[in-house]
Amino acid sequence: MQRIMIIEDDSSIREELTLLLKNEGYHPLPVTDFTGIPKQAVQTCPNLILLDIGLPEQDGFSLCVNLRKSLDVPIIFVTSRESGLDEIRALSLGGDDYITKPYNIPVLLARIKTVLRRSSGTPEPDMMEADGLCLNLTKGTISSAAGTAALTRNELQIMVCLMEHAGEIVARADLIEALWDSKIYIDDNTLSVNMTRLRGKLEEIGMGGFIKTRRGMGYQL
Amino acid sequence: MKMMEYLSDRLGNLVFQAVFVIAAAGFLFLTGTQAGVLILLLFVWILCFAGMQAVGFYRCRSRIQEMENIMDGLDKKYLFAECVPKTGSFYERKLLDLSRRSGKAMIEAVSDAQTAQKEYQEYVESWVHEIKTPITAAGLICRSADSVTRRKILRELDQIEAHVERALFYARAESTEKDFLIRAASLAEIADKAIERHRTLLMQNCIRIETQNLEQTVYTDEKWVIFILGQLLQNAVRYRGENPFLTLSARQLGKQVQLTVGDNGIGIPAHELSRVFDRGFTGSNGRSRGGSTGMGLYLCRRLADCLEIDLKITSEAGKETKVTLTFQAKENLTKL
Repeated sequence: MQRIMIIEDDSSIREELTLLLKNEGYHPLPVTDFTGIPKQAVQTCPNLILLDIGLPEQDGFSLCVNLRKSLDVPIIFVTSRESGLDEIRALSLGGDDYITKPYNIPVLLARIKTVLRRSSGTPEPDMMEADGLCLNLTKGTISSAAGTAALTRNELQIMVCLMEHAGEIVARADLIEALWDSKIYIDDNTLSVNMTRLRGKLEEIGMGGFIKTRRGMGYQL
Repeated sequence: MKMMEYLSDRLGNLVFQAVFVIAAAGFLFLTGTQAGVLILLLFVWILCFAGMQAVGFYRCRSRIQEMENIMDGLDKKYLFAECVPKTGSFYERKLLDLSRRSGKAMIEAVSDAQTAQKEYQEYVESWVHEIKTPITAAGLICRSADSVTRRKILRELDQIEAHVERALFYARAESTEKDFLIRAASLAEIADKAIERHRTLLMQNCIRIETQNLEQTVYTDEKWVIFILGQLLQNAVRYRGENPFLTLSARQLGKQVQLTVGDNGIGIPAHELSRVFDRGFTGSNGRSRGGSTGMGLYLCRRLADCLEIDLKITSEAGKETKVTLTFQAKENLTKL
């Protein structure tokens, strides 16, 4: 389980973040004593640190420098200070990302995921498989025993999202969220159009009915 | 200064002299002075008197000219009284001293006002940072509410955030010290960040966005442009039409880069188009829909002016609105 250290002085945000990360399958490590944080970090050995800039004992910038001395852990700055200078400073001091409050929860989670993946060195998978269907992410193709079809960027992302949650029901709103995460800004109607095309392509390679519609709930593989 | 103006200042003196001379002449005539001697005396007197007036006039005029030159040469005009050499009559020195004191009082008042404004701006900045903590907490807390309530609360929080952000940028735009930071920025990244920030609003209103040709580098302050784009996105949502659709596209124009934000919304009537950037202007659309503050586009223009971005708007009522931002080439920026 990935361990995420939360350094945040506002108790309600800290508690809620702890809950959120726990629900998302991480192991949160909230910090309540703001003295000797680098030492605490060495002891708990997190995989990622969420660091607020405005802290009671020592501001996040100098804390980041201290943490960097003893640990090689990705650090995401989470702050309400919004100035270009702060961002440059945070990144030049060894921060891996910079998120401003108030953040959107899906956006925060997506950034955490990206930074964790980058630091653990596991490359993005280039192949995904489910029920005899093989998705090639680098080529953007989908293949079955009966043949291969090329997908557009939108169709590819829809497939990725469905295959990541194979077996579960994926709501249309969640699909749209996932597409927006990948910088594809579509609405409900466009999703329907893409879905129809994607099903057509699946039909061509003999996989018609691979994506099931659950009325009023969403889609399911 | 004209001779007449100079003399009219000394009218009393002139009249007194004339009356005195006539009286003296009468007295001398009656006591038996010869007419010829009297005329000679009068002539000499008039000559002396006119000469004195002429010298006085020229000195006065050159003094005024000197002071005008000092005034013209001054960068800060209110320091005038400090810069005039302290020569001249006691009366003139006294006047200069008074004007110097009044100038000093004025400078103090202005600097007090500037300090107060700066402190106020600093307070607004820190207040904005403080208020973001509870907004973030509320956003996280409402996850546990049911999905309808959650969506409603998130929408309201979004609104609060938008207002807070406008207050912050208003304070920044009106401040005398503009603390922006010009550096190379990617238009695609700016657009993505602006969309990300208003994502809840855009998604809840089923807006489709297409981005074209945004792989360009511009020299500007990223945060400020993200704010400007944010205002345009919010307007596009507020004044949307059927099947709302937004395009963000860029093109190179010589060394400039032009970013166009277009929507298929309800548009702006032609006669209101020239006033949409005015402070507090809400227009017929704003009035009929409500909730419009008339600050969004005003702030956009203020910030764009600071960043030397040319901001243009075109619209066809009932059909579309297009806002174009033209970014100057790096070498043409004066405030780099």
